[in-house]
Amino acid sequence: MSEVRICIAGIGMVSPLACGVPGTVTALKAENVGIAPIRLFQVEQGGALPVGQVRTHLVDPGVPRTHNLALIAAREALAGSQKAPDAIVIGGTTGGMFETEEFFRAGCLAPERFTNHSPGSVADYLAAAFHCPGPVVTVSTACSSGAVAIQIAVEMLRAGKAKRVLAGGADGLCRLTYYGFRSLQLMDPAGARPLDRNRNGMTLGEGAGMLLLEARGPGTAGETGDPCEVLGAGLSCDAYHPAAPDPQGAGALTVMRAALEDAGLDPSGVDYVSLHGTGTRENDLSEARALNALFGHDMPPLSSVKGAMGHTLAASGAIEAGIAVMSIQEGLMPGTTGCTRPDPRLGVDPLIRPLQGKVESVLSNAFGFGGNNASVVIGRRKALHSTKLAFESTPHLTVVGSACISGAGGLAGTIEGISQRGHCTGILPEKDLAACLSPRAIRRFKRLSRMALSLSVSAHGDAGTTDAPSSVFFSTGWGGLSETYGFLTRLRTSEEAFSSPTAFVGSVHNAPAGHIAVHFRATGPNVTVTGGDYSFEQCLLTAGLLLKESGAPALVVGADEYHEELSRRFDGSAAVSGTPSDGGGALCVTRGRGRSGPKIAALFLENGKNNDSVIGSLITTLGGVKRINAAYGAVLAGIPAACADLGREQLTAFLSDAAFQGLVIPYRRLTGEFASASALAAVLGVAFVKDGVVPDGFSGPKGFGLQGKGILMLGFGTFVTGVEII
Amino acid sequence: MSIMNNMIDELRMKIVETLNLEDVEPEDIGDTDRLLGGDLGVDSIDLLELVMMIEKDYGVRIDNEELATRVFANLETLATYIHEHSAGGSVE
Repeated sequence: MSEVRICIAGIGMVSPLACGVPGTVTALKAENVGIAPIRLFQVEQGGALPVGQVRTHLVDPGVPRTHNLALIAAREALAGSQKAPDAIVIGGTTGGMFETEEFFRAGCLAPERFTNHSPGSVADYLAAAFHCPGPVVTVSTACSSGAVAIQIAVEMLRAGKAKRVLAGGADGLCRLTYYGFRSLQLMDPAGARPLDRNRNGMTLGEGAGMLLLEARGPGTAGETGDPCEVLGAGLSCDAYHPAAPDPQGAGALTVMRAALEDAGLDPSGVDYVSLHGTGTRENDLSEARALNALFGHDMPPLSSVKGAMGHTLAASGAIEAGIAVMSIQEGLMPGTTGCTRPDPRLGVDPLIRPLQGKVESVLSNAFGFGGNNASVVIGRRKALHSTKLAFESTPHLTVVGSACISGAGGLAGTIEGISQRGHCTGILPEKDLAACLSPRAIRRFKRLSRMALSLSVSAHGDAGTTDAPSSVFFSTGWGGLSETYGFLTRLRTSEEAFSSPTAFVGSVHNAPAGHIAVHFRATGPNVTVTGGDYSFEQCLLTAGLLLKESGAPALVVGADEYHEELSRRFDGSAAVSGTPSDGGGALCVTRGRGRSGPKIAALFLENGKNNDSVIGSLITTLGGVKRINAAYGAVLAGIPAACADLGREQLTAFLSDAAFQGLVIPYRRLTGEFASASALAAVLGVAFVKDGVVPDGFSGPKGFGLQGKGILMLGFGTFVTGVEII
Repeated sequence: MSIMNNMIDELRMKIVETLNLEDVEPEDIGDTDRLLGGDLGVDSIDLLELVMMIEKDYGVRIDNEELATRVFANLETLATYIHEHSAGGSVE
């Protein structure tokens, strides 16, 4: 074990205030405002509300606006760095949504238009641009995504999974968020006035923030002298409401305490608080209550930059972490632009104007829909700070319960379908999807949320534990397509006069995880991950990094819905598949503490396109040829139809190089083509390991005894993944 | 008075449909039953969804939360507000 410091080796940002770190410092000092009536698209009805629109020239016309913003910030963060980052963790909520909206308006509906639609495509684009061969994770926890990405990167570095990680967030403006927040009446027509007595909502913004994080030993100063570090980070969930924060601020208080504890700091050690401070009545009240509970009468200076640049959604947590570094380096605490008369009911005294002073540590807050909260502590190391130990803990989680949904039903139906008909493809009827849930509780849920909650309740029920899950890790390749389609369709057909607040709130990728949290009152970390066909593997990797040894169970869930209009346009594998299919899987897991059950771990996740040695690297990571053949009786191989040639080539290379003697099951032939097929496969793998046998029909008419060995679940194509179940 | 009764009946159905209240029959909602925060489980998102429906179907805008809370107190207050504010409408 050795001590590890998470040093911030580079920062990049682009926002409505400025492009680049130096320009942002100048703009914050000068109290500039980057907010003006929206110009990105014509507002048909109701007058153009002020937004924070980036004025910088975009650099790559071949990709969406969000991807451009991410590239600009990443280039700055990586400037002067010769080596590619080992891993990339990016927060995003809308990805290429603006371009998707434009294509739909123009009637251009060919699937090749939408290859950069998903939030996950931003991180994939950066991996290609900077030749990153390693893991890529996309976090989608709404407005806290950028900060959650930083925490995942920190844990990756602490676990020794990488030495250098590019972490951040990016979101471009689009109609979905503009009209969505407008439908919730959350946009202040006068521009955001955080913490002001007359505040009346947020201002929507766009931008990107990136940090290059490096793991260094305790004594190494690095190239930049005494660098700023991520001292600690924390996550929590309100488990209160899909779109409103807990008014008492309980989740906000928990997350700030968690971050400070992780950093080894007392509240008195915080020199400045960078607020989430959106300007909505509810957020600012909830955050202020938490601040009062945490700091009492010893409140450090605090402010929000969202009145100056707007709320840049997934980018905000990362941009503000970057501003925290500037605060420390420049001694600059930004003012709360837009706030002229602080609301006395909040009991806090925000900086109205910028303040110069010595800053050694900053607590930076980012809260999001679904009650997904994150706090990050940035600082220069003081002698008193404890350094974290690099832990060599196992990434394995113990599976104590599981459930799946396929076209053939739950686990029993799925296995029966495969054994008797050779497949479980198709779409389970709505009435069978959520039979275990009360109609009232799910009246606002569309297909994906129904699946996700039903899976979670069934997996927890299967675990037979009375302990409620505390943490939720959810993954989806495409998010709530029914809600997204419903929202955009109503907007378009009403010539932008009407939209649906319910559909907007349901359209965010983390909505299902929020519902799961509310159902179970799960107030621990609540993380939604999205990365196309590798979403579940990214999610399992994230759970392995973030889940603490608390004894409380956690849920790891992956699901995707088939949507008649969108699935074949967005998902290249669904487009070439003959049978529309959807479903997913859920695992109820624990870490440590004696419960018995199969162990699962995401051991490998690397780029399959820009990494010539990926199969060799996979074999080495799994322990070499001898261990692979000794440990695994069967391989569940996931080859998305859209990259069938590449995937088959990779599988063939693996089987040959590993001289694999066991059974090989290309499972998408059985499950059908959908992004979360691997979540379903993982649940099947768990069942096989528990029973010691692969049932009839999976690889031939007869069952296959595993002889005490485990299952290796491999994913191929643009990424290569390895998950073991033993 | 029958105009108001008809509107209340119409609103009953629209509310059940808009909020997807599968387990509620429209006639179960009394004229003066609390809509917001009552047995129906109507919350802030539902309220905004109803605001959108009222604007779309009756051309009546309700653009702040305070007003919405007042207007959506019950079916009677809602029908009265719509009647008073829809184009050409006035209480007889």
